[in-house]
Amino acid sequence: MVHKDPAEPDIITSALARNRLGVPSVVFFGVAGAAPLTVIIGAISAIYAIIGNTAVPVVYLVTAGILSIFTVGFVAMSRHIVNSGAFYAYISHGLGRVAGVGAAFVALPAYALMQIGLFGLFGSAASDILAALGLKVGWFTCALVAWAVVSVLGLLWVDLSGKVLAVLLVAEISVVLIYDLVMIAHPAGGSVSFATLNPAPLFTADVGPMLVLAIAGFVGFEATVVLSEEAKDPKRTIARATHLAVILAGLLCGLSAWAMSVTTGPDQVVAAAQEHRTDMVFELVGPHVPEILVQLGYILFMTSVFAALLAFHAAVARYQFALGREGVLPAAWGRTHPRTGAPLLGSVTQSVLAVVVLSAYAAAGLEPLFYVFAWLTTIGGLGVLILMWSASFAVLAFFVRNRGRENVWRSQIAPMIAFLLLSAVLGITVIGFGELLQVSGDSPFQWLVPVLYCVVAAIGVGWALVMRAARPEAYAAIGRGVDGRTIALPEGPPLTKGSHEPVGARGYHY
Amino acid sequence: MCLGSGGVLADQFYLIAHEDRTGRSRLHPRATGIGLAASLLGELILDNKLRIFAGDLEIVSNQPPRDGLDHAVLDLLIAQPQHRDVRTWLAYLSQDSADRVGQRLERSGAVESVTRRRMLSTQTFYMPNNELQRNAAAWAPMRLANILVRGLDMSITDRVLAGLIAATGLTRHVLWDFEAHRSAFAVLPNTVASLPEDLRQLIEHTEASVGSVLAVGRR
Repeated sequence: MVHKDPAEPDIITSALARNRLGVPSVVFFGVAGAAPLTVIIGAISAIYAIIGNTAVPVVYLVTAGILSIFTVGFVAMSRHIVNSGAFYAYISHGLGRVAGVGAAFVALPAYALMQIGLFGLFGSAASDILAALGLKVGWFTCALVAWAVVSVLGLLWVDLSGKVLAVLLVAEISVVLIYDLVMIAHPAGGSVSFATLNPAPLFTADVGPMLVLAIAGFVGFEATVVLSEEAKDPKRTIARATHLAVILAGLLCGLSAWAMSVTTGPDQVVAAAQEHRTDMVFELVGPHVPEILVQLGYILFMTSVFAALLAFHAAVARYQFALGREGVLPAAWGRTHPRTGAPLLGSVTQSVLAVVVLSAYAAAGLEPLFYVFAWLTTIGGLGVLILMWSASFAVLAFFVRNRGRENVWRSQIAPMIAFLLLSAVLGITVIGFGELLQVSGDSPFQWLVPVLYCVVAAIGVGWALVMRAARPEAYAAIGRGVDGRTIALPEGPPLTKGSHEPVGARGYHY
Repeated sequence: MCLGSGGVLADQFYLIAHEDRTGRSRLHPRATGIGLAASLLGELILDNKLRIFAGDLEIVSNQPPRDGLDHAVLDLLIAQPQHRDVRTWLAYLSQDSADRVGQRLERSGAVESVTRRRMLSTQTFYMPNNELQRNAAAWAPMRLANILVRGLDMSITDRVLAGLIAATGLTRHVLWDFEAHRSAFAVLPNTVASLPEDLRQLIEHTEASVGSVLAVGRR
């Protein structure tokens, strides 16, 4: 902790700081959603395989750059608003409550779909691992087991910033680094190629789809601001940790994507990814490392996906809790389990939604890795991208109205650059979205998803207008998030004489 | 128990917020801590020692309160004038408020301390142990429910208590019978609304603190 004033911190400050989170804990919390091993094993090979472009390492670095610039304004604004729980709070503070509710309605399906997509990855990977052990279990069964455990842990509201998670993440990162070293030490053709670090292939039509897939891998870093009241130094801890989470994830993914291309050779990496899918990294390092290290990698991969499932479950439940607390959703969503504090209805809603969607997929007999994992996380990723884009605009608007609260770089230059970059990314993503889902030219999915997001946003806007007309007192509280109240107090002038009278003028009657 | 003597608010909240059989908190421990911290500040406000103005605590009188715990809290408030934010004090006091109110209840004879061995540590619970104590503890939520259901005239202490119960999420425990207690649910918002401005603010800050603590889910 850095002290700005020369005086020793008083007992209040130090007693509060003792129980609070430092930078590492917040980083772990942020990286848990963007679980590095999940992204490296699951997403990178999927991008290589689906897009077939070799510029993946550059894409991760570029994404980390864009998100870092976005983070500058984002955390700067988080210091000035009461509730910094979620994107929609920023949007309601920056662009108004109507836009905020619209954003909330985009956020709910976006995060929910990302979590459900991860079930597809978990189910498919677990099924493969069990098959290798000689057990034939379908992906749906594996996904259901994970679903059951996540649902129960979600109801128990298990602490996600705990030490278990930290240990798992450190182990994951170590394994990733070992794998990367092994892959770089065994380059194809005997020489290390830097061809995939060439940004030239970025300037093709593939860049939009690749960027949105890469951004989907970072989702979760924005959750760090939830902890702003839990951080040792709210002003600095969160900012540093969020930047660290983005940079750490970007470097790790970029390095791994490059290492994969080194060991296969840049011309073979796409073919290798299409052949092995989620086993790609393990197949590549398998011949060069002891058996146990590959098995450890598989175990950590499963725990990593599971941690991401839990983190997203908590994020969705928290979103619904905040919306219930402030009256956008019915108040029942704002209630918690008395003992554990778990947002009950939010947790249950997400569990039910997940099992319904997964069952529908199982009934339709669709392939889990592509149609569940890739499709749903991509669709969810687009939603999060829309949120980030609106949030970057909200940051700009907020600091236009509140000048002088932060320096020019944080309040104007960085948010402006982030807004322009995210606008470009969003634009090309929406145009090329059909290609991202790999549907044929006349399929409705070419245009359906962005339109559906517009529709839910419009429903949100409509709902906000209804609230403004019917429940102005609830409308006025939008954006307060979990700070919102559950007891609806009748609005109006205070029933007492007010608090401006002289001391002692009030008599309390016991 | 005579309502009106110092220290009643936090004691009543403690008895409602803990299981009389096991001594465990009925709420997430941090929510209970915040509720008790707010009760302690509430006691000082009711005692005309303190008021809240726009989210800041303001010391009105440094005359020592009769109650020892209130005295200690007020001394700390006076000694740390650089911290005025209600949320800061709620967070600070919530760290050990359960133990300190538990000890006060033990001194007054309402509970006894029971130390239980856990895996690696010991934990002290303050819980009613004999029949008299258990009756008094069980009476605490029933008394409040009774007043609310019958719509009796409530003392200001009871109105603050009802507000804090609602703000921390204990309403369903006190008003457990939805049918029989239906009328109480309608009365509840008015009991809070009729409080003086600073006590209302105290309840609002309590509710907001509980909300953000629960959203994070840390212990």
